[in-house]
Amino acid sequence: MRLHVVHETQYDYTAPVALSQQLLHLTPRALPWQVCREHRLEVAPAPGERGERDDYFGNPTTQFLIAAPHDALLVRAESTLDVAPREQAALARPGGAWETVRDAARNEASEFLYESPNVETWRDLAEYAARSFAQGRPALEAAMDLSSRIHRDFQFDRTATSVSTPLREVMKRRRGVCQDFAHLMIGGLRALGLPARYVSGYLLTDPPPGRPRLVGADASHAWVSVYCGTDVGWVDLDPTNDCVVDDEHVTLAWGRDFSDVTPMRGVILGGGEQELEVRVTVSPVQAP
Amino acid sequence: MSTELLAGYPDATGRYDELVAAGHEPREHWKPFLAGLAGEPAERMRERLQAVQSQVRENGVTYNVYADPLGADRPWEVDLLPFIVPPGEWAAIESAIAQRATLLNRILVDLYGEQRLLREGLFPAALVHGHPGYLRPMHGVRVPADVMMHIYAADLARSPDGRWWVLDDRTQAPSGAGYALENRIAISRAYPELFHDLKVQHLASFFATLRDSLALWAPQSGGENLTVLLTPGPHNETYFEHTYLARYLGLPLVEGSDLTVREGCVWLKTLSGLRRVNAILRRLDDDFCDPVELRADSALGIPGLVDAVRRGNVLVANALGSNLLGSSTLFGFLPRLSEALLGEPLKMPSVATWWCGEPAALEEVIGNLDHLVIKAAFPHQRVDPMFGEDLDERGRKRVTAMLRARPIDYVGQELVQLSQAPVCDRAHPRRLLGRAIGLRVFACASPNGYVVMPGGLTRVASGADTRVISMQRGGSSKDTWVLAAGPVNTFSLLRREIGPDELVRTGTNLSSRVVENLYWFGRYCERCDATARLLRVALGQLLEDTASDTRDGRAPVLALLRRASILDPEADPDAHDPDDATLVTALRTAYEDDTRPGLASGLRELARVASHLRERLSLDNWRTLNRMARGDRRRRAMALADILVELDSTISVFTTLSGFALDGMTRDAGWRFLSVGRRIERLQSLAAILKSALDGEADADLNWLLRLTDSIITYRARYSTRPQWLPVLDLLVRDEANPRSIAFQVYGLRDYVRKLSELFGPIGEETLEGAAGAIRALDPGADLRHGSAPLAALLEDCHGAAFRLGEQIGHRFFSHVGEASRQTFAP
Repeated sequence: MRLHVVHETQYDYTAPVALSQQLLHLTPRALPWQVCREHRLEVAPAPGERGERDDYFGNPTTQFLIAAPHDALLVRAESTLDVAPREQAALARPGGAWETVRDAARNEASEFLYESPNVETWRDLAEYAARSFAQGRPALEAAMDLSSRIHRDFQFDRTATSVSTPLREVMKRRRGVCQDFAHLMIGGLRALGLPARYVSGYLLTDPPPGRPRLVGADASHAWVSVYCGTDVGWVDLDPTNDCVVDDEHVTLAWGRDFSDVTPMRGVILGGGEQELEVRVTVSPVQAP
Repeated sequence: MSTELLAGYPDATGRYDELVAAGHEPREHWKPFLAGLAGEPAERMRERLQAVQSQVRENGVTYNVYADPLGADRPWEVDLLPFIVPPGEWAAIESAIAQRATLLNRILVDLYGEQRLLREGLFPAALVHGHPGYLRPMHGVRVPADVMMHIYAADLARSPDGRWWVLDDRTQAPSGAGYALENRIAISRAYPELFHDLKVQHLASFFATLRDSLALWAPQSGGENLTVLLTPGPHNETYFEHTYLARYLGLPLVEGSDLTVREGCVWLKTLSGLRRVNAILRRLDDDFCDPVELRADSALGIPGLVDAVRRGNVLVANALGSNLLGSSTLFGFLPRLSEALLGEPLKMPSVATWWCGEPAALEEVIGNLDHLVIKAAFPHQRVDPMFGEDLDERGRKRVTAMLRARPIDYVGQELVQLSQAPVCDRAHPRRLLGRAIGLRVFACASPNGYVVMPGGLTRVASGADTRVISMQRGGSSKDTWVLAAGPVNTFSLLRREIGPDELVRTGTNLSSRVVENLYWFGRYCERCDATARLLRVALGQLLEDTASDTRDGRAPVLALLRRASILDPEADPDAHDPDDATLVTALRTAYEDDTRPGLASGLRELARVASHLRERLSLDNWRTLNRMARGDRRRRAMALADILVELDSTISVFTTLSGFALDGMTRDAGWRFLSVGRRIERLQSLAAILKSALDGEADADLNWLLRLTDSIITYRARYSTRPQWLPVLDLLVRDEANPRSIAFQVYGLRDYVRKLSELFGPIGEETLEGAAGAIRALDPGADLRHGSAPLAALLEDCHGAAFRLGEQIGHRFFSHVGEASRQTFAP
């Protein structure tokens, strides 16, 4: 499917910002199932300094600095991509028992096996996750079950959490947004010794006829990639929508958790009170 | 004599004794020292003790302990006896530490580079990927000369069989070298002859090597090479050391907000603009160093620093990410790594340690809990060590459950019986006590490999508990004397020759933060002085009720107390003339309560500002301030008469401080900012005092006014009459020779601002022109009297001009320092 993505981030400040330094994860990653046809990243006011490079996890990033005083900041990322389906392929390879995956994980995917700044693991979370992991069950099947349970047990609620709400709080309140559900599932998997990574991206805003509209489509989205052993590799699961990720998901970047791939992260000097508005639109384009 | 000293010295049962061998016979390398003491009169030791203690106190050598009820600054403890290491033994320690530093650096470079060690299974991936100190943005970043660890410290202990073991590696910003230096200066002065005769190795060349190596490896920028010392600030537990090292190494001491990153380079914000920084010796933890790319919950640090390092434009020592190896989890892997990377066996063993993250090791630790100490696996965790032997059945269960719940967070470590060394009994300086000790040794990278400091910080356990040595828990320290086999290298950092092109005059390189603090130091000094004088006059009026000026001075003084918020400024002055009891309470509060407006809070602010200036203030200034800060603690619940006495002494301290400022400070830009701060404050306070006097009765007695403005002696020398408006106003307004006159402040400020404008471009000289003109235009015959409108207008004008000038200077020079950066996140 060919998709057109516009992601706008707008800050309005009540006092001028004297200096702003920002790190962006807003350029989609090139992947076997995802080809970026066109990409533009515009910043207003125009930064005095700007640079691009790939981060530790291989995600494209942009870093910029604005030293001229400004009252507002607009970052607009626009991309056109071809995304290929991958659900069927994932389901066709069920893979081995989760314990086998776990025992090999230290050597194969240790990077995504431990706690990270936003993903703590603790006993209650481990026990919650363990209910999906019966002895000998294939890793992918068990992970899909965990994803379904999170979808069932937790309520999507934009007002319940913020970017800084700790995972324990999400667990207690049983509500949150895609980012919280992804962190929760990652924490559960890691607590059991299974590598899991955080994927940041987008969803198609208005689905093709006959397909349901997915939750979280009007903002940036996040889901989980779970490691299922050398044969199956990494499979992306979306606990917010209880589905295997297919061609309606656009991948921006992945890392250990939100903190590694925050779409826009930075430091400002001045600014007073700030107002933030994020607008995302993903629409299908007719391939030529 | 030495037998007398040794008579009461306890046997070290089950431990190694540093002083005596079997049969209570002193070890060879201690004999000359003991013999030296033997020939002395008995009181020498007590004199030494006093000299050392007073030096430590007056130099302000402190160790901040967050939970210490004594407050932030607790005096550093140093024992009177050095710890002596003979040449042969030192050679072994030195080569083992240099080897270990080399090895750790090689490991770091690999882990942040090609990671061959992970691929070949020589280093467990879990200890990289699971370590909070693994800074991913630093992976793949090349550092000059492949040196990531410029300075390294190892904590050593000696087991009962006499072998040295490594207990801990400190790989990111080890503290203690500066304290070792301070200990050296104190203790070598206590035994000048012995220090020389025993051929104790000097420490200075170690620090020179550190400084020169940094300068050599730092990326060059064409101009003069600048290295700075980055501190988290005065609240850090080892801040004294940061100021001390900065002064000793001759490096500017900076906080994160003093630096900024532009065009991929790091710059120091100075009075004259941005100045390129080539190297940063940091004492700030690496994950705090860059809020853009590192820790997401910290606005400390320098936004963009990682990128500047990545582009090779600045050297950071130790490299960001070096904390990765500050963990005893890797002890078990070091022997194999040493063989693999250096091709030689590890020279000094690490104390046996099991990382619970390995399932087999976890079971081993739980099985042997009784004989082990449980510690945090990673340096970021703040966990007190737990001793298995102290645990009862319930405790064992609790600890076992804790280990099983989060195994990767803990290590089990074998207990080392620390050796015993003699310390001097404070109460009886000629009696020796036995205390457990550990030795912290330091190494720094140089183009010729790692160089080990010939000495170190010997740390002494606080008392009976011989298992833990911690400065946080009230331990003491010792100077470490490494004896030289050959001649001593007497190089001193303080004797480096400076060439004519290095001569510095103006001080325009001062960092903006230092200048801001100097300015506020001047203001607070003056404010405290004025408050102390006001309290003294007000108290005097209460206590000496026979004085003739009591009635006349009372109303204006009350008005000034209201202006200073010492009395409720909202209360209606006509309806509420406070009774004596209310007034006494208010004055007492202003004197003793630092949470309310008044002297105590002013002194607190002054101390805060001074603590940021520690590396700029002379030792004499610092002593004076320290003395006042100590007075601070016994201020409560004093009799009024005693308060008066104390106020006298506070005022004389400020007189002394301004004497230092006049006599002891160079007239550079920093001094001008201090003086501008003083004069702005004094101009405002004078204008307010005169206004309240002029608001009072026309026929009032004016003695109180002369007292408050410290001009009574001048007045009496000039006039034999009782104070009258014309001569008093002439003295306090027009007389530009009186340092307490309006004219003196205004003309002086104008001169300072002119000088600063010459250096930095126009600042706002015109701000004072109106006031200066108005002073010149005063007609003594017509205007210097009670009720004069031009005089009232002049005072108004001065007050406003002082305020505006303060704002202008702040805006021009300080604005970027006061405001903190903050982080933002958008999903």
